[in-house]
Amino acid sequence: MPLRFSYYPGCSLHSTAIEYGLSTQAVFEALGVELVELSDWNCCGASSAHSLNYALSLYLPARNLALAQERGWDLLTPCAACFNRIKSADHALRNDPARRAEIEEAVGFRYTGQVRVRPPLGVVGREIGLERIGALVTRPLQGLRVVSYYGCLLVRPPQVVQFENPEHPQLMDRLLQTLGAQPLDWSYATDCCGGSLSLTRRDLAAHLVGQLVARARETGAQAMVTACPLCQVNLEMRQVTRHHALEERLVEVEGGVMARQDGAGEKLSPRPRGTWTGAELQRGEGFSGEAMPIFYFTELMGLAMGLEESRQWWGKHLIDPRPLLKYLDLMG
Amino acid sequence: MATGIKENREQSGAVLVVGAGIGGMGSALLLAEAGFQVYLLDRAPAIGGSQPLLDRTFPTNSCGLCFMSPALPAYCPFIECDRHPNIQLLPYAQVERLEGEPGRFQVTIREKARYVDVARCDGCGTCATVCPVEAPRELGQGLEQRKAIYRPYPQAMPNTFLIDMAACTRCGECLKVCQPGAIDFEQQDRLRQLEVGAVLLSPGFAPFDARVKGEFGYGRYPNVLTSFQFERMLSLTSPSKGLPQRPWDGKLPQRMAFIQCVGSRETACLGYCSSVCCMYTAKQAMLAKERMPESTICVFHMDLRTFGKGFDRYLERAQKEYNIAYRRSMVSAVKQVPGSQNLRLSYVAEDGRPREEEFDLVVLSLGFVPPDGAEALARLGFDLNGYGFCRTEAFAPTRTTRPGVFVAGAFREPKDIPDTVAEAAGAAAAIARLLAGAPKQPPPPAREYPPERDVSEEEPRVGVFACRCDVAQVLDLAQVLDHARGLKDVAHVQELAEACNAEGLEEIKRHIAEGGLNRVVVAGCTHRLHQAAFQEALREAGLNAALLERADLREGCAWTHRDRPAEATAKARELVEMAVAKARLLKPVPLTTRQVEAQALVIGGGLAGLTAALSLAEQGFPVHLVEKEAELGGNLRHIYYTLDGADPQALLRSLVSRVEENELIHVYRGAEVREVSGHVGNFTVTVESIPVSLSTDFTLDVGVIIVATGGQEAVPTEYLYGQDPRVITQREFEALLAGSTSQRVNEATRQQDSQTESEGALVDSLTCNSMPSSVVMIQCVGSREPHRPYCSRICCSQAIKNALRLKEINPRAQVFVLYRDMRTYGFKEDAYRRAREAGVIFIRYDLEDKPQVIAQGQGLRVLVRDLILRERLILDADLVVLSTGIVPNDNRALAEVLEVPLDADGFFQEANAKVRSMDFERAGVFLCGLAQAPRFIDETIAQANGAAIRAAILLSKGRLESRAVVAAVNQRLCSACELCVTACPYGARAIDPELGAVVVDPILCQGCGVCATVCPNGASQQNTFEMRQVMAMLDAAI
Repeated sequence: MPLRFSYYPGCSLHSTAIEYGLSTQAVFEALGVELVELSDWNCCGASSAHSLNYALSLYLPARNLALAQERGWDLLTPCAACFNRIKSADHALRNDPARRAEIEEAVGFRYTGQVRVRPPLGVVGREIGLERIGALVTRPLQGLRVVSYYGCLLVRPPQVVQFENPEHPQLMDRLLQTLGAQPLDWSYATDCCGGSLSLTRRDLAAHLVGQLVARARETGAQAMVTACPLCQVNLEMRQVTRHHALEERLVEVEGGVMARQDGAGEKLSPRPRGTWTGAELQRGEGFSGEAMPIFYFTELMGLAMGLEESRQWWGKHLIDPRPLLKYLDLMG
Repeated sequence: MATGIKENREQSGAVLVVGAGIGGMGSALLLAEAGFQVYLLDRAPAIGGSQPLLDRTFPTNSCGLCFMSPALPAYCPFIECDRHPNIQLLPYAQVERLEGEPGRFQVTIREKARYVDVARCDGCGTCATVCPVEAPRELGQGLEQRKAIYRPYPQAMPNTFLIDMAACTRCGECLKVCQPGAIDFEQQDRLRQLEVGAVLLSPGFAPFDARVKGEFGYGRYPNVLTSFQFERMLSLTSPSKGLPQRPWDGKLPQRMAFIQCVGSRETACLGYCSSVCCMYTAKQAMLAKERMPESTICVFHMDLRTFGKGFDRYLERAQKEYNIAYRRSMVSAVKQVPGSQNLRLSYVAEDGRPREEEFDLVVLSLGFVPPDGAEALARLGFDLNGYGFCRTEAFAPTRTTRPGVFVAGAFREPKDIPDTVAEAAGAAAAIARLLAGAPKQPPPPAREYPPERDVSEEEPRVGVFACRCDVAQVLDLAQVLDHARGLKDVAHVQELAEACNAEGLEEIKRHIAEGGLNRVVVAGCTHRLHQAAFQEALREAGLNAALLERADLREGCAWTHRDRPAEATAKARELVEMAVAKARLLKPVPLTTRQVEAQALVIGGGLAGLTAALSLAEQGFPVHLVEKEAELGGNLRHIYYTLDGADPQALLRSLVSRVEENELIHVYRGAEVREVSGHVGNFTVTVESIPVSLSTDFTLDVGVIIVATGGQEAVPTEYLYGQDPRVITQREFEALLAGSTSQRVNEATRQQDSQTESEGALVDSLTCNSMPSSVVMIQCVGSREPHRPYCSRICCSQAIKNALRLKEINPRAQVFVLYRDMRTYGFKEDAYRRAREAGVIFIRYDLEDKPQVIAQGQGLRVLVRDLILRERLILDADLVVLSTGIVPNDNRALAEVLEVPLDADGFFQEANAKVRSMDFERAGVFLCGLAQAPRFIDETIAQANGAAIRAAILLSKGRLESRAVVAAVNQRLCSACELCVTACPYGARAIDPELGAVVVDPILCQGCGVCATVCPNGASQQNTFEMRQVMAMLDAAI
């Protein structure tokens, strides 16, 4: 029997992350997995409900679960924020009898626990399997150095989402390797990107994004790969470019004296040019690079599997990845 | 043999000790010395537990383990356990079943197949050189490899190989090269039945799995190590030879960080505190710094828990002398820098701002978890606690829930070596009490020997006996003996298959008698083995034991130079020549014996003294218990409840009535020790009644003395104490809280002495006004300050105990605890958590900026600077309770009488802080309880029992005999300068005013030779190491 899922796009996959939605559908179709969008789905409550009204933050996703349960298939939830919220509701329903009764009452259904909430990355890893993906790769992503960026919502809290090792998830890295890309080991794969503060504290979000991009660059990455529309848009939108770097870099102070300059323009620890080591100089340069493209893992799957539709996705990015892909001769 | 106990043939005099680490070895040695047959079992293929990992330990940063053996001076306990006639080692074994009752258990054990025949394997190691398979080496903590056929480490006991069948490919290479044919792939596990009277569990602990704390990157970043790996690196036997090393590139790290409490003190991992990590980190940091003075070391920590005796001083040394930076902040994440593989640590600095700092190496301080196999062990029928450690009762710290099964060491609760050693001794005592009547192994027989032949007029006639045992494969013994035959005064040479077995010894005796030999050289294994057997052979043949000399042809020659037989044989010839040169000049050393007065004196009738007295009496020895006050009980009279809900007053009543009813215990109340003379085995003690007017002095003859004189709660001089009645101490607060819940206790205390009467009055005045609704507690009052630099260990838990009790009585009461470090170590951390959950508010203050207490009309006002909020807080309180710590009693007079030292703080100074906390250097005098250092009830009970069994072992000997090698003084040369008297570690020397020279007590002398090295005149000579003898050896060698 072919794999079938109810498909919950949430708001992002129809709007800011439409390329994530398009690529997910294209890739799963190519893999022979049927996705049927949940009819009459509602907002999952992410980004606001859980900080304002805890009960509502469970009722909203529970209604979507109820719809999926009616249909009987597992629920594919590509957006990491939606996944996290629906998983939280599912966790409460499964483990807290009092809460369960309350939710069932509010939503008007009886929870059976038969529908599982699944993220596409998990489905790729388990139900489909990397061997099958490998067999479908027609255009290996040779030369593409990337870091996997899982963010927080997909992996935490671990007892709720039950995804992977929350400190050191590896699934996306293994997938990227299967696609022929070169995933680099780095320490920041699950650090916060500040997505939830993207509108309220832009300075903080920009700082966190700046850190992440700088660390990715330091690791030698040409691009970052995400599984979350909030991360992706935040990383693209708040990324600092050469002209207004928040990160420190090396500048010449005067007459052969160089210093690190921080984001506020302050010059730190000036020393004669000759005393800076090669590594320091290189690192200083690395901090002010070109903007770094941010991919969804599904986009790279589509690209490696030679899906023609992939051409339609790149234009949706705030940071155009095409120069990089062309440079690596991956556009076909 | 103890006199006061009837023999009970129903009981078995054998004991099974499960776990042969520091605690297990200690218990085994004590029980063996006390006459029990001991089976010392361990899961590992060699005994030692965690000890082989520890190269250096607190406080002197030396190994120092040799101090802990009951026979002094001892070699290391590994060797002692192996050699002791009453100990049978059962390595690589586990307990399968335990049936029967206390006193008579049937135990089934499984001896795991080693696939190498222990009896045949000579430890040559050729098998490992040809084995093609590598596997992780246990001692190496994942950083070292060994072969599939291996010996855990070169000094392992037993020193034989085994095969790791999980790794072995059965290629058979080792079979081809094993000369003794010891390898047997078909070997099977063997089940064995043992009959024992009691079982002692001391299986130790396992390290927490650092991978669980993924944010620190252990197992992922190569330069993040566990503290166990780092400890191994610091060992001089590690591949890095004691230097810290980055696994990534082998470079020496310049910037090192330690992260404390990894996995500890958090409910998601280990809810408890492992008690030892703060200290071992200080040690590791100091050792690393010593070896790499240019490095910088930073320790990230929460509370610093250096609560034991001398610990705070040690920590201060780390901070001030070694410049190790301590940062009170938990690290939130460790990140790796690409390329350098350095590590970035994120933390919040004391100013409240997030920081990131880069290090070359990070060490994670791991706590303890229950040992592997703990659950399987528990199927023997005892309970584990919620954390998987062995459950015990508050006042029976070494008893498990199954009668006859005892526990000691980290398996009961994580603890360090000093506490483990004390508890192991306590458990041994508990077993000795249970099995007091069981038939014992007789002490080494007081044998009759033929009269010693006078050899002083004889020309030297040296017999040289070469033992083939394990040297003949390498050395050409015939050549060695040919050479010996030509040496001066050699009258006989002979090769023996095994010199130490019955035939070998018989052969030696026969040639002494028939050949008129008067000196004997045994050339074979090291003198550390079988010395007693050879000495006895000489005595049986009518020669003095000091006329024996050994030449070490095995450990120091054949084994060391296995690959170069020709040169080894040449060396052996020289070794024998040296031994003969010395033997020619050997002189007899007279043996001295002294009868032991088989009764004990216990000074102090508090918890420690009562426990020690009962323990000795139940082991069958008469005890004189001298208590200064009119009542027994000491400080225990003022403790009304404990953190775990036990009843100390019930304990007190039971102890006092059992002591009073025991016919072997004589109690002297209102009496003090005024004078002590004599030596171990024969002390004469003068006891005087107080008040002196009654003057009924009397003397007691005892063999041993136990000092248990206690301590007292310090009287504070700060925070309005004594000026405002609403400022009280924790003990006064405890009396108040107990009074409100138990009128009976209140009345009982009022009937007692004047001190408790005042407590009773306070209780009355405060209970009338109901319980206080707002209490501020101030910790470390007068403690951990320059004039009293130590930590009193108990006050944090005492404060929490009282805070919780108040919350129980009045849940709406506000309680603030102002502290410097909360030191609720071990499972006491649970109570700390409970207190926070109950709403007790803990505020840390700084010594530089202490709280202030101001009296203000109706109430008190406490000002304190909160270091986290960085704000000054104003707390209004009905009552301020001061945690003042424990100070010693005035011990000066008693210390002088006993000729034992006090430490800098006025407590009695034990022989060795690490492993001899219950002994003085002065032989026959022991120590326990608050007189040594502050401690809890359960710890006192264990330690007092420990002191009792150490004393009991001495008493059970019947007589003391001098060693074959002791020092002597040439009185003509002695100028009575006393240098040797001060230098002697055993107090064996004194000035004889009549002779005007130093004299040696041969019983106390242990033949260490320190006196000979300090004597400026050459008057002190160590027998058998006289100048002439040693020079002759050197001449022979050169």
